[in-house]
Amino acid sequence: MKSPSPLSPIHDVLLAKASAWSDSDSLPPSVRKFDARDPQKATLLGVADLSHLPRTGAKGAGAAGWLADLGLPLPSRPNSWLALPDGGLISRLGRTEYLIESNPTLVAQIMQTPRSPGVYPVLRQDAAFALCGSRVNELLLQTCNVDFRCLAADPEQLVLTSMAGVSILVLATGDKIHPVFRLWCDGTYGPYLWETLTGIAEELGGGGIGLDALP
Amino acid sequence: MIRLPPVPGEWIDRSTVVPFTFEGKTYQGYAGDTISSALLGAGEKVLGRSFKYHRARGVLSLANHDVNAVCQWGDRPNVRADVTQLQANMNLTAVNTFGGLDSDKARILGTFARFMPVGFYYKAFHSKLLFPLWERMFRGMTGLGKVSFDTPHIRTPKRYDFCDVLVIGAGASGLVAALTAAEQGAEVTLIDENNRAGGSGGYALGAEASRMEQMTEQLNKVLAHPRIRLLTNTYAAGYYTDHWIALVCSDVLIKMRAKSVVVATGGYEQPAVFRNNDLPGIMLASAAQRLLYRYAVRPMQRAVVLTANQDGYRAALDLSAQGVEVVAVVDLRPDHLDGEPEQRVIALGIRVLSGYRIIEALPGAKGKSVAGARVGNGKSESETLPCDGIVMSVGWAPAANLLYQAGTRMRYTQSLEQFVPDILPPGVFACGRVNGVHTLSARRLDGQRAGSAAAAHAGFGDIREIVIPAETECPTHPWPIVAHPQGKNFVDFDEDLQLKDFENAVQEGFDNIELLKRFSTVGMGPSQGKHSNMNALRILAKLTGKEPQEVGTTTSRPFFHPVPMSLLGGRGFSPERRTPMHSRHTAFGAEWMMAGVWQRPEYYRRAGKDRLQCIQDEAVAVRQNVGLIDVGTLGKLEVIGPQAAELLERVYISNYANLKVGMTRYAVMCDESGVVVDDGVVGRLAEDHFYFTTTTSGAATIYRELSRLNTMWQLDCGIVNHTGSFAAVNLAGPQSRALLSRLTPLDLSAAAFPYLALREGVVAGIPARLMRVGFVGEWGYEIHVPANQGCAIWDALIAAGKEFDLRPFGVEAQRLLRLEKGHIIIGQDTDGLTNPFDVGLEWALKMNKPFFIGQRSLRVIDRQTRKQKLVGFILDAQFNSSVPQECHLVIDRGEIAGRVTSIAWSATLGCHIGLAFVRPELAEANTTINIRLTDRTTVSAKIARTPFYDPDNLKQKEPA
Repeated sequence: MKSPSPLSPIHDVLLAKASAWSDSDSLPPSVRKFDARDPQKATLLGVADLSHLPRTGAKGAGAAGWLADLGLPLPSRPNSWLALPDGGLISRLGRTEYLIESNPTLVAQIMQTPRSPGVYPVLRQDAAFALCGSRVNELLLQTCNVDFRCLAADPEQLVLTSMAGVSILVLATGDKIHPVFRLWCDGTYGPYLWETLTGIAEELGGGGIGLDALP
Repeated sequence: MIRLPPVPGEWIDRSTVVPFTFEGKTYQGYAGDTISSALLGAGEKVLGRSFKYHRARGVLSLANHDVNAVCQWGDRPNVRADVTQLQANMNLTAVNTFGGLDSDKARILGTFARFMPVGFYYKAFHSKLLFPLWERMFRGMTGLGKVSFDTPHIRTPKRYDFCDVLVIGAGASGLVAALTAAEQGAEVTLIDENNRAGGSGGYALGAEASRMEQMTEQLNKVLAHPRIRLLTNTYAAGYYTDHWIALVCSDVLIKMRAKSVVVATGGYEQPAVFRNNDLPGIMLASAAQRLLYRYAVRPMQRAVVLTANQDGYRAALDLSAQGVEVVAVVDLRPDHLDGEPEQRVIALGIRVLSGYRIIEALPGAKGKSVAGARVGNGKSESETLPCDGIVMSVGWAPAANLLYQAGTRMRYTQSLEQFVPDILPPGVFACGRVNGVHTLSARRLDGQRAGSAAAAHAGFGDIREIVIPAETECPTHPWPIVAHPQGKNFVDFDEDLQLKDFENAVQEGFDNIELLKRFSTVGMGPSQGKHSNMNALRILAKLTGKEPQEVGTTTSRPFFHPVPMSLLGGRGFSPERRTPMHSRHTAFGAEWMMAGVWQRPEYYRRAGKDRLQCIQDEAVAVRQNVGLIDVGTLGKLEVIGPQAAELLERVYISNYANLKVGMTRYAVMCDESGVVVDDGVVGRLAEDHFYFTTTTSGAATIYRELSRLNTMWQLDCGIVNHTGSFAAVNLAGPQSRALLSRLTPLDLSAAAFPYLALREGVVAGIPARLMRVGFVGEWGYEIHVPANQGCAIWDALIAAGKEFDLRPFGVEAQRLLRLEKGHIIIGQDTDGLTNPFDVGLEWALKMNKPFFIGQRSLRVIDRQTRKQKLVGFILDAQFNSSVPQECHLVIDRGEIAGRVTSIAWSATLGCHIGLAFVRPELAEANTTINIRLTDRTTVSAKIARTPFYDPDNLKQKEPA
């Protein structure tokens, strides 16, 4: 029996509003476009769903060595991240915990590699969003008590905090003038967080955007 | 004309006329006016009625604490007229009147004043019998405005913000503090509660234009500075730990986190206490000056200025410069250094009466205006000075509320007659009047000092050493209070408290400032004592023979200034979790309920059936056929590593080291005191790998606690929280095996997949973990799959289930089914004191283990006499009266002997069944117990053995 296609944790929330979907064989469906205002919203304040991207995790004292043996570069300090050469990123969430988000091949390779002593595989089923636009800071200020100026000063830093009452992991990509914030949360909080963020974004003139409009 | 010709720096826009109505009468003001300034500009002096005696009141402070000038504006109660911007077509009425402001019938209460002495509320409520009477009366008489329950909920945002230095107050010292801090490199946020920055630099001029020019110059520098952000119409309402300040703006509540804080909040000008000091037309000097320079309103034609400092002389000069005839300046001080403003007053030919006081203000017609001031010096005969307004400038109280909240130690300085900061907490700085610095030039220097120190504290530049010159006069009079045999000399304008009220309160023994406050209600009105606390303190000090420092001040709690409900009740965040199958449940007609933070289907609606019928039908479907419930909300943890079993041995009360791979076992967790805190199922996937569930509400807590324990114990294993990463369903019922066999190649025979077994396999093409569990008492499988495949497994089971009449069931049916099986729910059938012995879990306790959490306590408990036991009970099958509810009490010989924890109608068993805690002597089967209902009637029930359903567990066995 063919394995059914996995879905984003917020798939059903997106279903009613999306107007165009991606049709990749190797990835779950993702929203390419909501409406004609997507580019405008992305400029002002856009929220995009990136939950479809393949990801996995590992923790434990042996995790660093195990991942290094798989050829992955490792962030040198806790709460930091690195871009991966073939796309995607690796984040170090604590002393011995890592999140890898990358192409399907690499993620499948990691997931299929037997664990070695001190390695505890983590099934990552996060909701993952991207926030962009000139008013993104206002959205962050209304939902999170972290001063994200710290990310501008240290681009490799990531922050584990709470947004709108939900535990999240957040980091900044893009340039300092036009940062794109990436955030991850437990997938079961995904619909709530998506609705909260897009609700505020709409008040501020933005809203949900498809991947085509994401910078 | 009350309105003056254009005044330099005025805040009104004369080109925009704003019509409005007040008390049914039409008026016109200007854009930029407040409601009060527009009414005064239109010649109205009476703006409201006092709270208790309904006396006519006008402007007092024009500084956001004129609590007698409060309006109802449509559905908005308590609109503060002194600071609320006038808007076109406002329809306003004064609050707290009976029959309108002009002819308020409740003003008759003034004549009954002696029947309503201080502490009246306390005395009235002393009798329980009369309580309802008084309550009804007070509720009818009191209240400021009407709340409309139809008012739409305004979702105002709340936001966080950050800065290096927060400067609170954009007056003379605040402006300089902000500039200094910014020049040292700090990002500064400067806030001011007023519509425009500048503070008293824009109105307390003493007829010197240079004062305003200096202020404007400073303000322009602030506005041009790239590192200063100025927020007007914003006040700091509360200080919290680590320089977290609640900033209240017109449409948003900001939680500002600063690295350091400069409190430049100035002072509250204080009223003098003399008979009839509340008549419309009597106001603080700063109020009169604001009216003159901000709103170009002449507050009176002929003024008497009562003063005790040079600020009062400046007010006299300002009044005179704007065409008010100053009849006299009455200076409370017999001897003082005559400052430069006083000399200019004398040069203008204005009469100065040093060492005089105002004995009483003489009321005009109906007490709605001032007709004169009777003054005297206690030596010669008193004199009446005809006037239509009295301006008071007798001193200042520091606006130190935020400093108190920050933990500042304050001391009373007699040279200033004021509390000043003695020891400030790290990162908090004060400057200006709140710091006891009153002279304008000194305030600027003080701002420079504080701004520099605040920036340095935040890591920007070095502290500048600046010497602040001492004040040359005491700005505040120590006793601006005049007794009068006929009273009406008000100390607190919010609560209509007079001087004699304090004397009486002290006489009754309330001679401590906190007791006095509560008994008299001084400072408990909407202005929170801003104009009454200092005078109350002075009165108490005098009556008890103490110094002000000894009397102390009351606690200044956040918020010290009223915050609109629309901001407090604005947008809130209530996180909720949804399982991956949420949309499927909605499609099936789920009636949702919150289980902790989870949205769960309580039951599924069916046309023509009520809630109970739906629940019963779902339960019957599971018993007779097959049902499907989403159990993805269960906590799902994994522990991996050579010492994984050891960790579980230590945290659960049963054995897990001997659990075979591929099997599960019920797991109960206790805390150190032996109280049951959680339960679940532990499954062994490999020798060093366990997968286990916790209660829905316990997942996060248990994961945190296990992580904490493992950090402490340093066992060679790791814990992973997979609660949100796995979707899970329970497929239960006699047909569950047949249904599942359509979707999986796994051998589902009882031999290959026995009761309590754990298997990994593929279901509907999806990798899954399957556990044979019996929580609801039927053959069943818990199926766990990656969350992103949750909908797929649900859809596959539903599709395959059509053949078997599969029915989804909700939380309520599951509760009933497990009750029939006698299974407990932690938190419902247990409480914060329940141990395993109480709930019949002795069988799971393995006391011979070397150690587990709670073992030591349970050994002690085991030696003690049992106090309660959880038992099953049934009601008679023919019972058809009011059914007991959970938490109803079991009564034995008039005493409480237990309580019901669960109860439900069981269609399968044909009677009501339940669980209850009872005393051990009542726990024997067939004992009759009495349950008391809410209406105090009792219902008899019979103790019954559990499980009620399938006591021999035959449902988990292959039919013979």
